[in-house]
Amino acid sequence: MTTLTKTEDAPAPTGRDAFLSVRDLRVQFSTEDGIVKAVDGLSFDLERGRTLGIVGESGSGKSVTNLTVLGLHNPKTTTVTGEIVLDGQELTGAREKTLEKLRGNKMAMIFQDPLTALSPFYTIGRQIMEPFRKHTGASKKEARERAIEMLTKVGIPHPKTRVDDYPHQFSGGMRQRAMIAMALVCDPDLIIADEPTTALDVTVQAQILDLLKDLQQEFGSSIIFITHDLGVIAEMADDIMVMYGGRAVERGSAAEVLRAPRHPYTWGLLSSMPSLSGNVHEKLMPIPGNPPSLLNPPSGCAFHPRCGFRSEVGGTLCTTDRPELGAGRASACHLTAEQKQTLFVEQIKPRLG
Amino acid sequence: MLRFLIRRLSSAFVILILISAFTFLIFFAAPRDPAVLACGKNCTEAAKDIIRDNLGLNDPIAQQYWEFMRGIVMGRDFSVGRCDAPCLGVSFNTDLMVWDTIVDRLPLTLSLSLGGLVIFLTLGLGAGLMAAAKKGTVTDKTLSSMSLVFSSMQIYFLGPIVLGALVFSSGIMESPRYVPITEDPLGWFTGLLIPWFVMALIFTAQYTRMSRSSMIEQLQEEHVRTARAKGMSRPYVFFRYAWRGSLIPIVTILGMDLGALLGGAIVTEMTFSLAGIGRLAVDAVTNIDLPLTMGVMLIGATFILMCNVVVDAAYAYIDPRVRLG
Amino acid sequence: MRLLSTRRARTAVVAIAVGSLALTACGGDSDSQTKDDSKTQDDAKEQSEAVAYGDAEASKGPAAPVEGSREGGTIRVYQQTDFSHLDPGQIYVSDAGLLSVLIHRGLTTFVEDDEGGLTVVGDIATDSGTPSEGGKVWTFTLKDGIKDEDGDPIDSGDVRHTVERLYAKHITDGPTYLQQWLSGEGTKYREALPEGPYNGDHLPDDVLETPDDKTVVFKFDTPRPDLPQALAMAGYSIVPEEKDTKEKYDQKPTAIGPYKIDEVNSGKNMKLVRNDEWSAETDPKRHAFVDGWDITFNHDRVDQSKRLAADRGDAKNGIQFSGAVDTSQIKSIVSNEETNARTIKGYAPYVWQLNMNMDRIKDKKIRDAITYALPNADILRPDGGSYGGEPAGGLLAPTVPGYEKGYDPYGKIENPQGDIEKAKELLKEAGAEGQSLVYGYANVPHRQEQAIIIEKALEKAGFEVEKKEIDQATYYERVGKVDNGLDIYMTGWGQDWPSISTVIPPLYDGDQLADGSAVYSHINDDKVNSEIDRILKITDPEEATTEWQKLHRYIVEEINPAAPLYFTKQLQIHGSNVGGARYSSEKSYIDVSRLFLKS
Repeated sequence: MTTLTKTEDAPAPTGRDAFLSVRDLRVQFSTEDGIVKAVDGLSFDLERGRTLGIVGESGSGKSVTNLTVLGLHNPKTTTVTGEIVLDGQELTGAREKTLEKLRGNKMAMIFQDPLTALSPFYTIGRQIMEPFRKHTGASKKEARERAIEMLTKVGIPHPKTRVDDYPHQFSGGMRQRAMIAMALVCDPDLIIADEPTTALDVTVQAQILDLLKDLQQEFGSSIIFITHDLGVIAEMADDIMVMYGGRAVERGSAAEVLRAPRHPYTWGLLSSMPSLSGNVHEKLMPIPGNPPSLLNPPSGCAFHPRCGFRSEVGGTLCTTDRPELGAGRASACHLTAEQKQTLFVEQIKPRLG
Repeated sequence: MLRFLIRRLSSAFVILILISAFTFLIFFAAPRDPAVLACGKNCTEAAKDIIRDNLGLNDPIAQQYWEFMRGIVMGRDFSVGRCDAPCLGVSFNTDLMVWDTIVDRLPLTLSLSLGGLVIFLTLGLGAGLMAAAKKGTVTDKTLSSMSLVFSSMQIYFLGPIVLGALVFSSGIMESPRYVPITEDPLGWFTGLLIPWFVMALIFTAQYTRMSRSSMIEQLQEEHVRTARAKGMSRPYVFFRYAWRGSLIPIVTILGMDLGALLGGAIVTEMTFSLAGIGRLAVDAVTNIDLPLTMGVMLIGATFILMCNVVVDAAYAYIDPRVRLG
Repeated sequence: MRLLSTRRARTAVVAIAVGSLALTACGGDSDSQTKDDSKTQDDAKEQSEAVAYGDAEASKGPAAPVEGSREGGTIRVYQQTDFSHLDPGQIYVSDAGLLSVLIHRGLTTFVEDDEGGLTVVGDIATDSGTPSEGGKVWTFTLKDGIKDEDGDPIDSGDVRHTVERLYAKHITDGPTYLQQWLSGEGTKYREALPEGPYNGDHLPDDVLETPDDKTVVFKFDTPRPDLPQALAMAGYSIVPEEKDTKEKYDQKPTAIGPYKIDEVNSGKNMKLVRNDEWSAETDPKRHAFVDGWDITFNHDRVDQSKRLAADRGDAKNGIQFSGAVDTSQIKSIVSNEETNARTIKGYAPYVWQLNMNMDRIKDKKIRDAITYALPNADILRPDGGSYGGEPAGGLLAPTVPGYEKGYDPYGKIENPQGDIEKAKELLKEAGAEGQSLVYGYANVPHRQEQAIIIEKALEKAGFEVEKKEIDQATYYERVGKVDNGLDIYMTGWGQDWPSISTVIPPLYDGDQLADGSAVYSHINDDKVNSEIDRILKITDPEEATTEWQKLHRYIVEEINPAAPLYFTKQLQIHGSNVGGARYSSEKSYIDVSRLFLKS
């Protein structure tokens, strides 16, 4: 259905039928040390009702991308080029007022740490009511009823009394539920969830993920799910985009990327993750080295300093030429499709178990 | 809230008792005999003894203290007349009721301090917010460097300069004076304008810097970003979310400054030739005036304790995580 | 006149200190750059003419006319601290003494001519008093038409009451001459009337007699030739019997003088308005040109000086009362012709001296060495320099009759930098090189500076100096203790009235030496003691003055209990609209009895 399932050599996505379409997005921060290329030529599409998982290390540009979609970057220090089209509406260069009307309404965000992301100064109820009143013009009473309704939906017990509690009076999981209630209060079409479960206990994580899935079904929203946890992404995402150094290095459906990954970085990610079904004695293989500097990105393929398969490509291709990501199911690597297939089957897969 | 008030009031009560006892003891521990100041030229021991007798200083200290404390509740009788409760005694120096004297002087000190406070808080927080909103721009840099210059100044330094410029050499303004606001609101305002202005110059700076840095910090808070992500407008988020949080450190400092302001009243009043509580405190100590010293100490301490309660309440109001109790 | 040890004076001293510091910081050559037209000793000589006793004619009102005077307006007074007392019985200090000129009247008062010559005249009495029995009995007759502010006439009963209330326990701060002369030394006099007149007790007729409404007779057991001058003190002003409110009288006294208190806010301000019951016809001293006086407190000397120098608005009608031009402002004020024309200058009655505790420094050679070593001019500098005073050669101020100009046995005027060589020599002769001295001084800046100067000079001369700071508020109490543990310490003393009898007896009569007495040097010399007793009884002022002079020379040259340091001078400024301003050599401040506003 999605463009992501199309073959590699299909034409680049047009975004015409996509709900959210990002094209050649570049986000640059000017800092005292120089220009940071946080996102460098990113394109992806997302259709209604589907979930896109974005995976990558910290600093890979996944959070910046999504803040940029919402327009929450600092306009003074940030340069954004490319286009972001939400439901036919161009967001880059849109006026602040326009964006304000969309935020919390058509697109909403769920943040990682509900403790810091909720204001300690206002009640949960008030924080849920605020966007609802702003976007729907509802009265205080209506908004309060809506807030209670939302709290009920996200499974907060005694919502009628808890609505007047402050965030510090909630447990971690409840806070995240409240945050979700806040994000969904206006029935947004697009939900961006930025590592929504990272700060939570594992048991609570599962509950929250279930909740999100249920709500998605009920509201029919599209979700961008950002995480570095491939286990979570396997559960949530329809499609996956792997990001490295501000660029997408691999994309495909969840099944494709997780079962038959084609990029050495994705291999590294998978190898560094424990598997329940795998051999417990198998050692985890962390990716050597550090994430690349965005001030001075490595030449050629940004992953080449950490890549164990450079010799397979041969020559200086990896250090001089940047591999492009094709359309559809694709990976940005100089290895040939056959090499990728062989290397994965022979070297990587056995370790994943 | 009620529990908070009861607890704070009872602890304030204990503190006041301790302060009064301590002041009393210090007074008698110091080798300064108030009798010598009312003794004229032929100050023999016998002459001083008569004065000490008049002042009640020949009674045991414990009895004097008891009578003083009892007077606060019950009132006392003096040779100059009945001193109704709350009676803080009769000044050794002026023979006036200490309570009346303090009530007489308090409006000036309050006008001076609170008026100054309102001005420098408004200016300071305003400038701080502006600098934070325009962080890194010329406005920000100007405001920040101005605040550095003035915050390093003192009233006794800046006061005479401003007086010299505005009053003595140019005659643009009259010397500061105090008229009760109830009598002449305009006169009250213009009379205290110079001291307020000087206080504002000095204190505004500090609050500008504090407000700026605290605001910048708050603007980077995640919950501020969340509010923006909800579609709340920039000004709404700026004031409702970020500003509220930025007030917490400011309220804390303000709580301390209120005490300093009262202490600073001494310098301010001296500099501008005004007669308030600050000057009364100096007079009390200079004239070895026990009842006046006690009165000023107790009123000052009460004021500071009250300020602390108000600050704590404000703190709890701003940040619901803080529990009163 | 007044003593610096009373309470308000101390507060003032603290305040001057800041200014003194500033003056020193300006550099030592400031004096040479500014033309020095401060009062010189020639002017002072007039100030110290023997006081004449005026007859009935001299005691009649109205007061001598003042050129250019007109009526109306309100004089603005800028004053540092509130008046110490308003109850006459409690008034000793100069600030309240000056105010009392405006509101109180006594049996006698001083009138002053344009040259500063003083005459004691009858104020509410018809003359300065009639002595009999060799000065043991003094009779006063009251003028007609003297009323208090309520229009009630003053009679001899009010005078009796005024005297008798001084015996009551609540009167502690005023002069005690009269009480002691009538009823006994020290505090013994109080036994004569322990409750004052309040319980209906009175002094017996052989002490104080009021044979009729208009006559008052004082009876002493020794001649009291100074009585008319003593009675001119503010402390002996009349308190009408019916109006006496005991302790409360200090807050709201009843006026007999030309002005009455309209409004008083303790520590803040005071307003005086005309007392319509006062009649210029009865008053040989006071005019009442202005309609009122608007006095505000809490103006330190800097503020007073700046306001009056700037001469804007209200300050045009402004004067200083007991304040002086701040030392930091002196140079700019006297060097500007316009502001200098608005100053008044004269000698204040104080002599500053360095007492040498004779219980501890018994060898006169050592005391002489100390005296020679002191650099008087340098010591004066922190206290105002040449406008603040001038080096003293003896222990009498230029304001006291009998002061001998140029008397300088230790060369302190001739050589105000001190004579270290001579000091060394004397110390060697005494075999006391390295003698240690404990120097006590008050913890205020100008005294601290002086301490350093004195320490340096004495150490150069071969002494070891140990400095001991003393709390300013209790300084005089501390040095006034017989067992004060100090060797040398400064004190200032001013006459109570222009007579040596108010200087030498209290300071040098060894019989009076006790805790709290003013015999700071602990001198106790039989000859001095007996001479004091003898001279006090001499009724002829000229003869008495001559004898005092001899005794003064004997004390300075033969005993040397205290090294003379400096006399103090007064410099005040007033607004440009104030007319009739002149220095009052009696009060040592601006003469408030004759001020008017030019427009």
